[in-house]
Amino acid sequence: MAEEYAIELHGVTKAWGDVVAVRAFDVQIRRGEFFSLLGPSGCGKTTTLRMIAGLEEPTEGRVLLEGRDVSRVPPYRRNVHTVFQDYALFPHMTVRKNIWFPLKMRGVSLADARERITRVLRLVSMEGYERRLPQQLSGGQRQRIALARSLVDEPAALLLDEPLGALDFKLRGAMQKVLKDIQRNVGITFVYVTHDQTEALTMSDRIAVMKGGIVHQIGAPDEIYSRPATAFVASFIGEMNFLRGRLLPDAQGAPGAQVGAHALRAARSTVPADAVQTDVLVCIRTERVQVNSHRRTEHEMEGAVRRIVYRGTDYEVTCSVEDQELRAAVSAVDWDPSLAIGSRVRLCFNGSDVTLFPRAEEEEIVQYTTEAV
Amino acid sequence: MEKRISPPRTLLRGVPMAVWMLLLVLVPLGYTFVTSFFQVEGLQIAAKVTLKNYALFFTDPMYSGILAKSMLLSLAIAVLGVLAGYPLAYLVSFRVRRGRQALFMLSIIPLWVSYLVRIIAWRTILGNKGVINSALVASGLIHEPLTFLLYNRFAIAVTLTYICIPFVFIPVYTALEKIPRNILEASSDLGAGEMRTFVSIVLPLSLPGLVTGFIFAFIIALGDYIIPQQLGGTQGIMFGNLIWSQFGFAFNWPFGAALSFILLAITVTILGLTSRFGSTEGGFIGE
Amino acid sequence: MSSRRKRGIVLKAYGFLVYFFLYLPLLIVLVFSFSPTKTIVGMSGFTLKWYQELFRDGNLMAAFVHTLLIGGAAVGIAIVLGTAGAFFVSRASFPGKSVFRTLVLLPYILPGILMGISILVVIKALGIPLSPLTVLLGHVSFTVPVVMFQIMSRIARMGPNYQSAAMDLGANPVQTFWYVTLPMIRTAIIGAALLAFTVSFDEIVISYFLTGTWMTLPVYIYGMMRYGLSPKVYAISAIILLLSLALIMLMSRYTGRYAEVYRARAPKG
Repeated sequence: MAEEYAIELHGVTKAWGDVVAVRAFDVQIRRGEFFSLLGPSGCGKTTTLRMIAGLEEPTEGRVLLEGRDVSRVPPYRRNVHTVFQDYALFPHMTVRKNIWFPLKMRGVSLADARERITRVLRLVSMEGYERRLPQQLSGGQRQRIALARSLVDEPAALLLDEPLGALDFKLRGAMQKVLKDIQRNVGITFVYVTHDQTEALTMSDRIAVMKGGIVHQIGAPDEIYSRPATAFVASFIGEMNFLRGRLLPDAQGAPGAQVGAHALRAARSTVPADAVQTDVLVCIRTERVQVNSHRRTEHEMEGAVRRIVYRGTDYEVTCSVEDQELRAAVSAVDWDPSLAIGSRVRLCFNGSDVTLFPRAEEEEIVQYTTEAV
Repeated sequence: MEKRISPPRTLLRGVPMAVWMLLLVLVPLGYTFVTSFFQVEGLQIAAKVTLKNYALFFTDPMYSGILAKSMLLSLAIAVLGVLAGYPLAYLVSFRVRRGRQALFMLSIIPLWVSYLVRIIAWRTILGNKGVINSALVASGLIHEPLTFLLYNRFAIAVTLTYICIPFVFIPVYTALEKIPRNILEASSDLGAGEMRTFVSIVLPLSLPGLVTGFIFAFIIALGDYIIPQQLGGTQGIMFGNLIWSQFGFAFNWPFGAALSFILLAITVTILGLTSRFGSTEGGFIGE
Repeated sequence: MSSRRKRGIVLKAYGFLVYFFLYLPLLIVLVFSFSPTKTIVGMSGFTLKWYQELFRDGNLMAAFVHTLLIGGAAVGIAIVLGTAGAFFVSRASFPGKSVFRTLVLLPYILPGILMGISILVVIKALGIPLSPLTVLLGHVSFTVPVVMFQIMSRIARMGPNYQSAAMDLGANPVQTFWYVTLPMIRTAIIGAALLAFTVSFDEIVISYFLTGTWMTLPVYIYGMMRYGLSPKVYAISAIILLLSLALIMLMSRYTGRYAEVYRARAPKG
């Protein structure tokens, strides 16, 4: 009877005195899934990973691996391995001895292990490196050996703690592909910790977005992106505009908010419908805001350009609108060169791109505005 | 992460260490303290509690005078040690590129050469028929050997400073090495000259090491009795000699214990006060 | 830039002076060990007479052997206690930990006279006669902190993840220690042992208080110093000088940042 879930967390909490690092985490990770833990530093994602590995014990709740409760089982008796951020390759052992290590702990002799070691080295494209010492390898190479070492005894799942953090941009992109390919080929469950939302979006089957020990949302990348559950998730993934408004009563089943002189319709709202006149956050993706559009859109707001930032594939135009700020991402293809600071523009978007959140969530969002600085 | 107490399993590993500490540190030092309240009767140490020993020390100016003079001399020695050791450390740390490890070893080696050998060497150098005098007499600069070189506090100071220099070098060097070089670049980039950079940046940042070195030198000098005995003559009686003599002919162990405890109190107080400034990181040969 | 160069020269000259100050006495001892005249006058020839007398001095040779025995024993004990203690202090956390650390360091930092007297007082109170064992006891008091702090320094630089990685890969605590931790601190242990041996070899103050008739070399030399300066003293001093140098050179291969590089070049399977 094969277990459907490789890893399950039931109400897992980790607290040190008053400090709660992880609060009541519930999730069931499927076998073969690429599952990411995403969030800013200090959100508890690494602590969660360590609890799955057994390097930390949960204060409350249970950790199950392949259906078995391992909450109190030490790491060396769990069938999961971790790839650490600094790789932790044993410096006094060669690559071969490093990779042999988990097998050696299971009683496999070096002679018997040779073939498996060669196979896993081929998997990470590092054949021929058996005799090298870790000091002689580059960062990317060490990373692959660390990966090989964790895969050689075919564990139930692999836990990766920001493994690409130390690599430069281009190398990181290449390694992302390598990791994804390996994961798919071997069919092994990955639990991947990162603070890089692009990484999470491109590689994962599902993502858990965390902040301050609390899981805000678990879902597939497109779900997280287009239907964020909280203002924090909305702000952490992609570029989001946050306008302040007041909740309007529903009209034809659609929620709405008043921003300045404009009554805007929204597609989604997490605010209770009867909380009329309360403060809300009105959110629109920057790429959904068009500047001086020729097409008819549901809403149009007049504003003045305050800043233009060129980003290669697009321009980010920041405008002051109704005493607030609204940003639009305009693709370079559609760019109108006559736009300059001070230009008066029409900012256009549809109600289907608008989401409402309670104003109280404002302090949770991660935005970088000049005011903050 | 919160500071939390390790599980009992982990704490158990500390038992051998704790036993060692009990036997060789706490019990001896504690018992010495106890003994300092005993007194001597005839040729025996009687376990009758008395404050006589401490009273003697505090009331008789000879004893407290010796302590005061010793502390003053030790202070001077520590200062000299720093004056010699700090520039050396600065030289090796900042001014030498290649051969730095060699120079480092060069500065450390005297430390590990036998203590007694070094004392013998200085007696040879400073004596009436010693190297200095022989050289001066032979070259005709003087007719009579200089007597002020040996068997006085000058000799003690020279020899103890000699002993202390490596003890100052190590912590200072360790502290200097820890200063990130790009801070110095930033300083000169912002317009500070070398002297200015030294005074406002290098010196303050190396202060923990300097304080540690100074304290080490001071404690070593204060507690030493062999050098004063060998090179100090009649003028050069230091506190260490005083303690030592209680265990020799004077056979006044309780008094000696009291004096020891006073030395202990002074040492521990100094160490405690400066532990905020100094540090013993880096092992004993400054890794 | 000339003023900078001037200052550079001043510092270098001063440094040179200090080195000269540090090494001249050692050189003199070396020179005098070969000088035939019994008094402390200038060189007038070359002789190995004093070295010959040295080797004929049975008591001195015996003292030398005693010193080696004590050193070996004290270091052996220190390695076991010191390594265990180093891991304990590095890993465990409990209230009063910094006091614990300081107490361990105390026998090394305190003047020898304090430790010597303290241990002597206890021994006498317990009626234990002075013997090689009492000397050993005294030596163990300072060799343990030396080893412990050297190893702690290495543990700190090692980083904690190797243990976590080993356990994560299936090694229980014993296996982790044996296959991962121990090999990594091996050079630190050797270096610390050499260091502790050197300290023990030269120790005079504590040894003097705790010795009966069974003497170590420094105690014997101290006796020679107090009762007349025979040039034999220079000969033994020169030998000790060279021995210490050799020990230090050896030690430098096992400690410090350079040690790991040196060791890593050694071919391993």
